[in-house]
Amino acid sequence: MNSPVRLLTVSIGLSAAFAVFPPLMWAQTSSPDQPLSTRERAAHLLSRFSFGPAPGEIEHLLEIGEQAWLDEQFSAGPDLVLADMLGSLESIEMSIAEIRDEYNLPAEENESNEDRRARQRLENVPRQELLQSVAMRAINSRNQLEEVLCDFWRNHLNVSFTKGGPSKYFITEWENEVIRANARGSFPAMLRLSAHHPAMLHYLDNSSSRRPPSKQELREIELRTRRRTGSSAQGEAAVDLALQRGLNENYARELLELHTLGVDNYYKQKDVVALAEILTGWTFSGGRNGTFTFEFRNNMHVPDKKRFLGKTIKSDRKDGQAEGEQVLENLAMHKGTAQFIAMKMVRYFVADEPPESLVKDLTRTYAKTDGDIEQMVRTIVASDEFWSRENYRCKFKTPWEFLVSSLRVVGAETDNLRAILKASAEMSQPLYQCDDPTGWYDTAEAWLDPGVMALRWQAALDFAYGRVRGVSVPDHFWDAIPENVLPRLWQHHLTRLVLPGGAGERTRAALGFTTDAYLKKARVPDVRELGPQLLGLLLGSPEFQQQ
Amino acid sequence: MNNTSRREFLLASATAGAALSGLRLWARPFVPIGVAGVAAPSTGAVVVIYLRGGADWLNMVVPWKDPVYQQSRPTLGLNLEHGLVPLDSHFALHPALSPLKKLWDSKQFAPVLCTGSPHGTRSHFDAQDFMERGAPGLRNITSGWLNRYLQASPAKETSDFRALAMQELLPRSLRGDFPALAVPTKMDRRKGRKTLDTFERFYGGGDGDGGMMGTDNDENVVRSGQMTISTLRSFQDIVAAAKSGDTVKYPDSKFGSRMKTLAIVIKAQCGLEVGALDYTGWDHHINQGGTDGKQNLMLADYAASMSAFCADLGPLLDSTTIVTMTEFGRTVKENGNNGTDHGRASGMFLIGGGVNGGRIHGDWLGLTPGVLADGRDLPVTTDFRDVMAACLRSSFNFKLPKDFFPGYKPGKVKLF
Repeated sequence: MNSPVRLLTVSIGLSAAFAVFPPLMWAQTSSPDQPLSTRERAAHLLSRFSFGPAPGEIEHLLEIGEQAWLDEQFSAGPDLVLADMLGSLESIEMSIAEIRDEYNLPAEENESNEDRRARQRLENVPRQELLQSVAMRAINSRNQLEEVLCDFWRNHLNVSFTKGGPSKYFITEWENEVIRANARGSFPAMLRLSAHHPAMLHYLDNSSSRRPPSKQELREIELRTRRRTGSSAQGEAAVDLALQRGLNENYARELLELHTLGVDNYYKQKDVVALAEILTGWTFSGGRNGTFTFEFRNNMHVPDKKRFLGKTIKSDRKDGQAEGEQVLENLAMHKGTAQFIAMKMVRYFVADEPPESLVKDLTRTYAKTDGDIEQMVRTIVASDEFWSRENYRCKFKTPWEFLVSSLRVVGAETDNLRAILKASAEMSQPLYQCDDPTGWYDTAEAWLDPGVMALRWQAALDFAYGRVRGVSVPDHFWDAIPENVLPRLWQHHLTRLVLPGGAGERTRAALGFTTDAYLKKARVPDVRELGPQLLGLLLGSPEFQQQ
Repeated sequence: MNNTSRREFLLASATAGAALSGLRLWARPFVPIGVAGVAAPSTGAVVVIYLRGGADWLNMVVPWKDPVYQQSRPTLGLNLEHGLVPLDSHFALHPALSPLKKLWDSKQFAPVLCTGSPHGTRSHFDAQDFMERGAPGLRNITSGWLNRYLQASPAKETSDFRALAMQELLPRSLRGDFPALAVPTKMDRRKGRKTLDTFERFYGGGDGDGGMMGTDNDENVVRSGQMTISTLRSFQDIVAAAKSGDTVKYPDSKFGSRMKTLAIVIKAQCGLEVGALDYTGWDHHINQGGTDGKQNLMLADYAASMSAFCADLGPLLDSTTIVTMTEFGRTVKENGNNGTDHGRASGMFLIGGGVNGGRIHGDWLGLTPGVLADGRDLPVTTDFRDVMAACLRSSFNFKLPKDFFPGYKPGKVKLF
């Protein structure tokens, strides 16, 4: 970035947040069947449908009510403050072709090492800007529901920079046109776009899947190569190579297993092969002069009729693309897809073990609304399962959720998120770099291993003490702690800010221990000294790891 | 173990470590009596390396004389002129695996061919889950086979970690009720120690925690935090006490450096029984290459690391078994992109002092179309659970409880 953008989190009704409250009332552990309190409900909603509350948001939600908050999130237009923050990231709105033209310089002959490094740096700019923008939005956007849904869909339809090659040009447009544009909208539309986008076609190899060449084509290849090289051996070698070109099942398999029906649900291996054949020819215009847009190539397409999911798919010799379009539509409307998407959404938003009753309701919503994502979210929020105490603070945050919620909860000032992106990678979750087409897992089972916690603790302390480059705890966060209370009560005020859902007995006692140790030594207690210690501990506490 | 005894025990192991290395590792308020720095007897250890993505075993142990092999792989096929390393009259190692030849010659390397699962899934994620849980097709089994071993057997000696994974997250084979440690590679040693001390109180450790309550649904987090503190401390002690001055050179790669750390822990003889390590990126649909693609580079890194690891262990290799596995093999025919697609049977490598090495194991039925699974893939002739069972029996004298592999009684294979 040329000029560092200074980002300030929007503060909503900040001063209103610290009205008088009884400092010892919010921390009891409740019995299992006791309904969530109003404040707990607010904390719950904001921890699942946003990346955690920012200063003042709990109070805002309490003021306008849950439904109004949801409506606000769904009807929100673009966040202009955020747009301003993102202004200096020049590549993040570009198309693939634009990025390729702007950031990909051909190597000069006899290029010096310095020039080569400069060229490679330039090639990497779009990727870095995209990651920065994703992080900035997650942390700062007022449209949090959109951000959380983007996170969900990014992992549902995973693509990754680790694929290498031209993926570094592809994913910016993918993020904008496939994920973000549909995250609150229609799943079938998102699925259709994903199947046409170079990022996916390349990531799962469909762009190079094709029917084996015909005898006539082989003859042409041989003649052409012989004519060009003047060598018959090279002609034969070209034929050998061409003979090996063929079907690649990778995308077809994941389209069924991960994007629509779920593993071995309603389909068999022969359906994978049939789908791979149906999708032959789905590729993009690549190469030096390519437009990097979707392209159907009939000469790569398997022309025979196919049998897929028990139905015969007639072949249309002139328009082989229609087969794939039809199949995608059928898949999007398949009850297996409705069940699978419903299950995944409930697992992500409610509990690692998705309550079956809610999955059923959500499947019904999907079927009734043709996969309308807004309606599915509303079904979840309207359900009893979502609000049960059993599912309150029961989900272990992924590393990304942990980092983003840490920054949000203090309303961090952010001007460079490279350190945050790096921290997430060190915790095994680098953004847009999940090798596996599964995307990052959303359950504790995948993340909660002994050992992992150490990295979170380190990150929490580093951040609270201001040791992380590019991000800091703003003055207004500390200013929110009232001056006229006993220093011994600072921890209660901080707890209320960082853990709006309350802290357990053990955490309160441990904080008290730190407070006592500090007060014993300090001649003039200073909230700017004790505060960071307590903040680091709170961010590393068991309560903050859960959402 | 309750908190008190765990704490005492931690202190004990720390003191023992300090006595051994002659170092005062960290200040402690008291020293328990009766714990001497006794050198541990060497127990067996199993190191499990998982090649994620479905490694193409057919180009690792190569039936290069088989005309079907050569026909099926016009671009990927390997020949003597590529530098294949012949093992016996039929098979040869991929040139990049040549460092393993020395272990073959000393009879410490036993390749097993055509291993796999009775379940025909070609999904990476299912195949890995089924394999690492030792329960093909059973989605209700969620514990890993290594974890079940740890649960079912008493510790061979007092050890704070009988099992660890040299990576940020545990592989599924180690998941389960027995707590195993995932070692974050990036943990600053000194700062890390202080961090652990700082958070002890928050996770139910430290003084004055009289069974205080946590909060809603947080038991798992608290337990994981406790484990993190206790085991990372011991781990750090061991690594800190390791003698510097490397005599063995490892490749300068992630895999190499993790193997190096694992060797340190084994050499410390602190009771480690199970070490696990993932090697990702073997899903070579495109640009797998013969001797000039991705697989070549990865095999070279793997083999050099393995060879260094074995040299580093020295005599301890005799009581160590290293088993390398992957979720499935790949199509016999190469695909159109200089790569291969998901297949069925793959293979396993056993390396160590106790293995019946210097010979190929596992039935090989050839590559004729009638033999191939679904007409295209290597058929499974050895159930992977047989190999797992053999490793546990031989390394730990472990008698497998009934239904250790649910619904399956492993056959005896003469691998050791």
